[in-house]
Amino acid sequence: MNEAILVGVDLTKTFDDLTVVRGASIAVGDGEFVSLVGKSGCGKTTLLSLLSGLERPTSGRVTIAGKEISGASEDDLALFRRENVGFIFQSFNLIPTLSAWENTALPLFPIPMAEAERRRRAAELLDRMELGNRMEHLPAALSGGEKQRVAIARALINNPKIVFADEPTGNLDTATGDAIMAILNRLHREAGMTLLMVTHDPELAKTADRVIRMQDGEVLS
Amino acid sequence: MNLRYVFQELTRRWRRTVMAVIGLSIGIALLVILNALSLAYHEAARAPLKEIGADITVQRPGNVPEEMAGAVFPCSAVTIRMDEIDRVEKIPGVRGVGTALLLWVFDPNRAWIVLGIEQENPVGPSILRNFVKEGRYLVAGKPEALVEAAYARQFGIRLGDSVSIAGRSFPVVGLVDASHAPKIAVANLYLPLPEAQAIAAASKPLQSVSPFAVGDVNLLFIKAGQEKITSVASALKGVLGQKTAVATPDSFLKLLGSFFALSDKFTLAASLIAILIAVLISFKTMAGNVAERTREIGVLKAVGWTRRNVTLQLLTESVVQCFIAGILGLLIAYAASFALGFMTVNIPIPWEMSPTPHFLPGGGATIFKTLQLPVHIPVSLALFAVLLSVVIGGLTGALLSNHISKIKPSEVLRHE
Repeated sequence: MNEAILVGVDLTKTFDDLTVVRGASIAVGDGEFVSLVGKSGCGKTTLLSLLSGLERPTSGRVTIAGKEISGASEDDLALFRRENVGFIFQSFNLIPTLSAWENTALPLFPIPMAEAERRRRAAELLDRMELGNRMEHLPAALSGGEKQRVAIARALINNPKIVFADEPTGNLDTATGDAIMAILNRLHREAGMTLLMVTHDPELAKTADRVIRMQDGEVLS
Repeated sequence: MNLRYVFQELTRRWRRTVMAVIGLSIGIALLVILNALSLAYHEAARAPLKEIGADITVQRPGNVPEEMAGAVFPCSAVTIRMDEIDRVEKIPGVRGVGTALLLWVFDPNRAWIVLGIEQENPVGPSILRNFVKEGRYLVAGKPEALVEAAYARQFGIRLGDSVSIAGRSFPVVGLVDASHAPKIAVANLYLPLPEAQAIAAASKPLQSVSPFAVGDVNLLFIKAGQEKITSVASALKGVLGQKTAVATPDSFLKLLGSFFALSDKFTLAASLIAILIAVLISFKTMAGNVAERTREIGVLKAVGWTRRNVTLQLLTESVVQCFIAGILGLLIAYAASFALGFMTVNIPIPWEMSPTPHFLPGGGATIFKTLQLPVHIPVSLALFAVLLSVVIGGLTGALLSNHISKIKPSEVLRHE
C-alpha cells in the first residue's frame, strides 16, 4: 500500500442508544481501490460517512491527506469536502432542474470562477464519460447509467484526493452496473484515482485492490 | 449564490414559481389599488376647494333675516370683521387668505344672489375669469358686473345692459358659464368686493341682524400647507368662534360616504389583510418547495456547499421570486387603476356653501361636483410595493433557508 491518504482510527458512531460503528480502524493508500463489504445494516454506509466527513464520529479520528477532520465544524467539513473529496451515491442524487453539465459543475458553483471555465471543466469530464452530446439534458431525460456517469463526473470535477462511492451500481441493471464499474476501474488504473467503495455485492468487491469486510458495526479485515 | 442555478430553479419549477408569484402579486396589487383608491377619494374631496384655489373655506352662521327685503345675509354667512381677518392671516400654516361677500338681494321684482369678489386674489372666486363665456372679466376699480349665463338667459339680461340692484346700477361686462365654474360660492351676479361691501353697509335689514362695516366680509378662502390643514382649521374656530363653519377636504370626504373616504384605518386594515393572506400563500408555497428540496440541499452540502452558500442561494431565489411578484402586482394595479379611472364620483356641496335660498326655484336641490375618480399610483407607493415584496421575499427566504441549511447531509442521504 502506498502512503495512506485516508486513515480512520478507532471510530465509533452511536445514534441515541444504538451503536452503528464500533471501534473501526481503516487505512486507504494513495491511488488504492478499496471495497467495503458487508450485509445490509452492518454499518458500511455510516462508516463511509464518518471517513468522508459527512458525519462526525462519536469517538475516534479521521485523517484525510494528513488533515484531521474529526473535530471540524460543519462548514469546515463542507469546505474540506469541496476541495478533497468526491461522492458517488447509489441513487445518483442529481439536481432535477440542472442540466448534465450544470450538475457536473455543482461543486464549483460556490467558487468564484467564470461560468465558461466551469462549463469547460464539466464538458471535459462529460466527454470522458462519453456524454459530450448529453450536456444540456436534464436528469429526467437521461438513463440510469447516464445519470450515474454524470454523478461520477461531478465527483471528479474538483480533482479530489479520494472518491467515496456508496453502492454505485445499486440502482442499475447488471449490464449498466458493469459499465459503471468499468469506468471506475479505468479511472483508478489510468488516472490513479483513490476509491473507497461500499457494496454488498461480493463479486463487485472483488474488482477492487483490497476488500475490507464489516459485520455488526465492526471491521473484520 | 449562483444566478444560473437561481434562474433554472425558478423557470424549471415554473408551476410552483407561478403559484408563489401569483399569490403574492395579487396581494401586492390589492395593497396598491386600495391605497390608490383611498388617495383618489382624498384627492377628489380636495377638488371642490382646490378649484377655487383654497384648502379651507370659512363662514360664520348667524340669524335668519327678519324680512326678505333689500340686501341681507344668508343665515349661513354673517359678518367676519376686518380685525378677525388680520388674526386669521397670522395663524401658523396659513399661506394666503381670500375674501368674498355673499348677499341675497331682494328687489321688488327680482331676487339676486350676489357675490362680491376680489378680482385679482388667486385664493378665492377670481378663478371665474376662466369661465367668462361672453364679454370680459371684471377690471379692478370699476363698478361693473358679471352675470351668470343661465340667469341672464332667464331674465333676458344681455352683455352691455345695466343691472340695477339695491339702488345701484352696474354695466354687465361679462356672462359666466356656471355649469363649468366651481360649485362653491356661486351666485347670479358677481361684483367687485368694494361694491358689494357698500351695498351691505347701506342695508338696514342686514345691519339689524349682523352689524357690518365697509371692509368686513362673510366668506373666507384660506390656502394652507397640506399637513397644516387640520391645525389651521382648529385655530380658525379659536379666532372666529366654535360655531364657525370651517370646510376642509375632510368635510367633503365625510360627505362621500365611501369606505375608502371614511377611514384611512379601513384602507390600512384591508391592505394588511391582503398582504398577510398573500404572504401566507407565498410562504406556504415556498415552504413546500424548500421541504421538497431537503435531499437536494443535502447533496449541495455533501459536495461542499457551506451553510452560508445554501442560505444565500435560497434567499436569492426567494427575493427574485418576490421581486417578480412585486412587479407583476404593480402591473395588475396599474391596469386596475386605469379601469377605475373611468369611475365618476359625485361630491355633494353643502347648501351653505352654494347658497341658493331654499324658497327660490331649485333652492332645495343638492348640488354635486362631479368628476372622474383621479386614480393614479404615486411613484412612492409603487416603490413601496416593490420594496415590500423584496422584504417579504427576504424574510421568507431567510426564515426558510436558515432552517433548512442546518440539515446535515448524512441525515438526508443516509436512507437511500
